[in-house]
Amino acid sequence: MDLNRINARLAPRSCWQAVDFGTRLYRRWWRQGALVWLVFTALPFALLAGYGAATRSLWPMFVFWWLKPLWERPLLAFYSRALFGDYPSPWTLLRTFRSYGLNGLAAQLTWRRLSPLRGFLTGVWQLEGSKGDKVGGRISVLLRPPSQRAGTLTLTLLTLEHLMTVALIMLAMTLVPWQFNLEFSVWFQEQSRLQWAFANLAWYLVLMVTEPLYVATSFALYLNQRTWLEGWDLQLGLTRIGERRRRAGRGGAALLVLLALFSAAPHPAEAQASQPESRLKRDAAQSLLPLSTGGRSDFSRDNDAAESASTDDATPKQQALNLLASDTFMPFEERETRRLRESLRDDDNEDRSWWQDLLKKLLDRDRDNSDRDAPLSIPDAVVEGMGYLLLVVVLGVILALILQRLPGAAGRRRRGPDMPVSVAGLDTRADSLPADLNRALDEELARGDVRAALALLLRDGLITLFQRHPTPLTAGATEQDCLRAYQRLLGDEPVVAWLSDLINAWTRTAWAHRPSDRQQVNALRDRWGALRPALAGRAPS
Amino acid sequence: MTPRTIEEATELAGRIEDQLNQVLIGQPAVTRQVMLALITGGHVLIEGVPGLGKTLLARSLARVLELDFQRIQFTPDLMPSDVTGHVLFDSQTGDFRVRKGPAFTNLLLADEINRAPAKTQAALLEVMQERQITIEGETFELDPPFVVLATQNPLDQEGTYPLPEAELDRFLFKILIDYPELEDETRMVEMVLDGSLPDSLDAEQLTRVTNAEGILALAHQAEAVILDRAIIDYILRLVRATREHPSLIQGGGPRASIALARTAKTQALLAGRDYVIPDDVKQVAPPVLRHRLRLGVDADIEGQTVESVLEQLLEQVEAPRQ
Repeated sequence: MDLNRINARLAPRSCWQAVDFGTRLYRRWWRQGALVWLVFTALPFALLAGYGAATRSLWPMFVFWWLKPLWERPLLAFYSRALFGDYPSPWTLLRTFRSYGLNGLAAQLTWRRLSPLRGFLTGVWQLEGSKGDKVGGRISVLLRPPSQRAGTLTLTLLTLEHLMTVALIMLAMTLVPWQFNLEFSVWFQEQSRLQWAFANLAWYLVLMVTEPLYVATSFALYLNQRTWLEGWDLQLGLTRIGERRRRAGRGGAALLVLLALFSAAPHPAEAQASQPESRLKRDAAQSLLPLSTGGRSDFSRDNDAAESASTDDATPKQQALNLLASDTFMPFEERETRRLRESLRDDDNEDRSWWQDLLKKLLDRDRDNSDRDAPLSIPDAVVEGMGYLLLVVVLGVILALILQRLPGAAGRRRRGPDMPVSVAGLDTRADSLPADLNRALDEELARGDVRAALALLLRDGLITLFQRHPTPLTAGATEQDCLRAYQRLLGDEPVVAWLSDLINAWTRTAWAHRPSDRQQVNALRDRWGALRPALAGRAPS
Repeated sequence: MTPRTIEEATELAGRIEDQLNQVLIGQPAVTRQVMLALITGGHVLIEGVPGLGKTLLARSLARVLELDFQRIQFTPDLMPSDVTGHVLFDSQTGDFRVRKGPAFTNLLLADEINRAPAKTQAALLEVMQERQITIEGETFELDPPFVVLATQNPLDQEGTYPLPEAELDRFLFKILIDYPELEDETRMVEMVLDGSLPDSLDAEQLTRVTNAEGILALAHQAEAVILDRAIIDYILRLVRATREHPSLIQGGGPRASIALARTAKTQALLAGRDYVIPDDVKQVAPPVLRHRLRLGVDADIEGQTVESVLEQLLEQVEAPRQ
């Protein structure tokens, strides 16, 4: 569960918002959901539907329907991992089915089969790995207020499933030529094999949509309930705060750490060996979901944290520290590291690219010295050389960023923000200005159109300023926004004072309908005439 | 003091704000927005944690402006008649007589308004909208100015009744009040310790600056502020953009457009101008619009807020063209 890869924001939501959240999960991965569904059910469905069509029996389809909890298991495995940025392929899900698909399945296929809370409670077995007496306790906890609408959701999607099936059949009916004599009104009176097969196929296609949707929304309800009951959102928030604090603490030492990583510092493997045994055991036992290791999942780990802390023989202070270090409080930090290594180790027998080799080498330096002699291993000197190279590059980038922000370094910047086409309601494209500004101003003033003259002056001022001192301006920027932007950028330079006076004259003319007099406009023009060449002569910032 | 010119109006408003800022330290934006609402004649919904001076602000306002002030603490068992008043039988005279409720005032502080049930909120709604109260078929006009300052607590949401959209729309502003800056809080603590600021809801030290007539004169001045057609068009484009934004499931209605136009005029007056500029609209848009917009679930999940959407809109909607 890598925080940086989480695909949603956990928050205590109302039931309906949680269902909306589940719908969004479904929409995001609907293709993958449909593919998982197809891979797991296409063959059984084809066999059962074929047998049913041959014998004109309803039993095979009833069996398929009864086995829905079985078909939903891979979908839940997919969504529960996809939410945290891991996307198992259908083949992976098929290969590892035993690790996640069997626990509690017997109960779900027998006396719990008709429970309307089926989808909501599947997580208890599949994600938490609860067994025996614990199941009842977990279910009663999960059914505490705020009560979930899992039953309503099941009934709604069941209704939707039937409506969509009938709608699909009717749609197809309208498209079939009448010569085939496929009338919906006589559908139930006499059915050919073709009709039989067609109805089953329509149902199956609808299930391809509704089943992933049902699993995703039920999973969202389950997540939401646990967020309410166990404050997962708070836990995430605290984890992030802790992460930020750690990063801040590391800030100054980051380069030293980088250096140490690639240098001849004491080998990390030795350091790891000195870690407490319990910590190492926990590292080894960790897994994101039962899918990855066949062990217990993150969803269940939280429940056990308090127990493990209380059974520790250490002092109360040590117990408290153990508890704080447990997954209940920091469930994500260790997982991130482990997963990266785990994934690389999982791929040991597969082809790896050069960068994966390098990454594996870097990560496993602290674990396995014997790798040094392996045929695929990279000599330490190369690794360390690359480390120093990386360090130089990082230092270079930092230096460049600092230099770019130094006063007077603005001129070295190649490219700034783009000038919007329109600012403060004025056309600010450079080519929209007249070739001879003074002449155009004289013409406007001769016509007595002070507003147009001021607009010309303001446009020229803004365009010239922007060309010399690009600053982020948006289409929604007003005259005052422009003024504030240049006050921030240029302080109290004469051009800013001129812009302020011009904008004052402009706003009175434009918005108060009190045009400035010609002398004022001419004075502004003269000041601009004195400022403009100096501005144009300066290197663009 | 009754202002006759723009300069006098601006000066008067400035003096009122100065008085308020003496007791409500570190919240100049809040006092400015309350002043805007008061002059525009709109009601204010203030959201903030307890202890930030909401009640003190209302008391101070009443003191500085010499207005009648009432406070109602909204609770789940509050009845509409507790707000508006009721008819009771006088056994001595043998007649029924009207007992007027706390809503008969100039400045009504509705504390924790979302703790009352919808029925009581609806009673206040009529008072806010019609500025009149009907008791047993008899209608009583309220003396102007009449302003409701309602507060709600963002953290303590247990046992609350969310305000219906219709009622929210009746509020001119939703003001967010936050903790003061460190420097301001330090000054506040020092002032309380040296006795220059009382450690209670005491506004007696404040000077009366004007009265109801003065406020009505300010409102009159604000009405006379010039609002160009292009700026009205800008306001409409802004409000309509809230209706079309993909992250919002509810945008501002016509009442929002009207509120934005009226408040922009008052904002111009307080800035010492008799004409509105586009910046006035941008400045008052967040408090006018934030409570009228509803964020969609998708946007909420993605971490957007009404404030961030408003910020986007103010950047994207083109400034008015002259």
